[in-house]
Amino acid sequence: MSKRDLGKKHNKFFGKYEDKKDGVIRGFDVHSTKVKILCIIIMILCLSFVVVSVFPILWVFLASFKDIKEFTREVSIIPKSFDLSKLQESWNALKFQRYYINSFISVGGSVICAVIFNGLLAYGFAVLRPKGYKIAYGLVMWSLLIPATTSIVAVFRNINLVGLNGTFVPLWLAFGANAFYVVIFKEFFQEIPKEILEAAKLDGAGVLKVFSTIMIPLSKPIIMVVVIFAITAAWSDFLLPYLVLNGSGKETVMVKLFSFKDTPTDAVSVLRATLFAIIPPTVLFALFQKQITDGATAGAVKG
Amino acid sequence: MKDKIKWKKRDTIGWLVMVPTLILFAFFVWEPLIENIRLSLHSAVGYEIKEFVGFENYIKVLNNPTFIKAFKNTFSYTLWSLAIGFIVPIILGILISETVHLKGFFRTGIYFPNIVPGLATVWIWSYFFIPGKTGVLNIMLSKIGIDAQAWLTNPKWTIPLIILTMTWKGAGATALIYMANISGISPDLYEAATVDGAGIWKRIRHITIPSIAGIGKTMMILQIISVFQIMYEPMVMTNGGPNGASVSLMMLMYQYAFRDFNFPAAAALSVMICIILVILSGLYMKLTKSSEE
Repeated sequence: MSKRDLGKKHNKFFGKYEDKKDGVIRGFDVHSTKVKILCIIIMILCLSFVVVSVFPILWVFLASFKDIKEFTREVSIIPKSFDLSKLQESWNALKFQRYYINSFISVGGSVICAVIFNGLLAYGFAVLRPKGYKIAYGLVMWSLLIPATTSIVAVFRNINLVGLNGTFVPLWLAFGANAFYVVIFKEFFQEIPKEILEAAKLDGAGVLKVFSTIMIPLSKPIIMVVVIFAITAAWSDFLLPYLVLNGSGKETVMVKLFSFKDTPTDAVSVLRATLFAIIPPTVLFALFQKQITDGATAGAVKG
Repeated sequence: MKDKIKWKKRDTIGWLVMVPTLILFAFFVWEPLIENIRLSLHSAVGYEIKEFVGFENYIKVLNNPTFIKAFKNTFSYTLWSLAIGFIVPIILGILISETVHLKGFFRTGIYFPNIVPGLATVWIWSYFFIPGKTGVLNIMLSKIGIDAQAWLTNPKWTIPLIILTMTWKGAGATALIYMANISGISPDLYEAATVDGAGIWKRIRHITIPSIAGIGKTMMILQIISVFQIMYEPMVMTNGGPNGASVSLMMLMYQYAFRDFNFPAAAALSVMICIILVILSGLYMKLTKSSEE
């Protein structure tokens, strides 16, 4: 009996490989035992990659339920009890509600600026193409290569000069000057058929009207990509927010997390703050998995 | 011909649409770049520029013993990131491309760390690397009977471990880019190779790897540029220690600026970092051009 049954059993797992039409290993390879073993090894490796990727995040959730004694003395991964009130306590003690609100304000403004300003510039580069636009385009492309953090001193100086220190405004506007987003928008706008835009122009629509009534609605998928990029980037951003907001009462979650390095804080509080900091992006990821993972490759279109 | 030269109303409107964003670029990117150079050549009190001092700030920075350390470390970070951070996503990408079961799950799983904010990542891994018995990695080692390790406090391990942390966060996202490229490889190529008797390893070696070499080069230069600016990872995880073993150039720049409030020295250092980065990018462009010819 065994030989036929075994064959059937394998088919359940390897059957799917028969239809494999791409990649190195092909359906016709899967008949040899060597390749079958290889396929299983690859599966096990991929599973272990996921474990390595997810475990540290899972651990934060687990360890946040330990109190400081348990955390510093017990040699264990799983906490003794799962008591949500402990988290509540830290949430209140660290005043995290305030940091969350500040972060939401900062992220919201940043996302709006990221879409509108970079979108408008890309609209100019891709569609309007006024005379001499290539000079501006060259400068923007060139700033892709110059890392932003190296001139943080001078940026902070500028912010002080215009008196915007201690406000959210410079953080919002900073997202309006992102060469990467401009490139993403431009690549997409170029693909929009010229005829649609010409037709609108004949109808007498102004430049901005075309942008808001045609470009924006047609560009929903790419706006989604930029919005998600901008949300994660703005939520994670801490250097400029730290310099601009620290001590102003408008500290964001990341500013708080960054300032722990200078203020001695017990390990469990830092850990719980870390947990609070990763909850919103995790929720976002859970909701928009597909858009986010697809967006990851869309961003690389420009190569 | 005529309307090629003539400035039209729509050109004015075009520029008007672009100007607000260009002002932001000027404020946040271009002017600061020039301002940095100016600041680096002057003495200053706070942000107020006093007098022209030539290259004095540069010489001061170069003579700082920490600079030599930071310079060496930054190159060490870059080399380790090429050894670990560059290879891992390629392996992930190739292997996951070869699965037919749970592919979506693998994609999502390896991308997950990428949405964890950088600061949260370094805090999490600081706990994993706690040298005592209660460090997460040491707990796991004790389960398989291995003694507790010193992790970040061992100066030989500090830089590779910080790179490992960065790789944990970034590798999944890069792997997805490789996967997109791998799935674009024409199946005919593999079939032709199979007909010629190429085994699986040979197909990877002669088809998959050459097909992703182009995007690989781009990813490499992007990685070098980003790792060269490594700053907050050592700042939070080791504070540059043990004994300066992990201090980086950007971290030194930060210290000049926001610990010592010596803005001209910080500007001088960041100009030097920028020059190195521009040279690296230029070198890369030259390399890719000559290999294409």
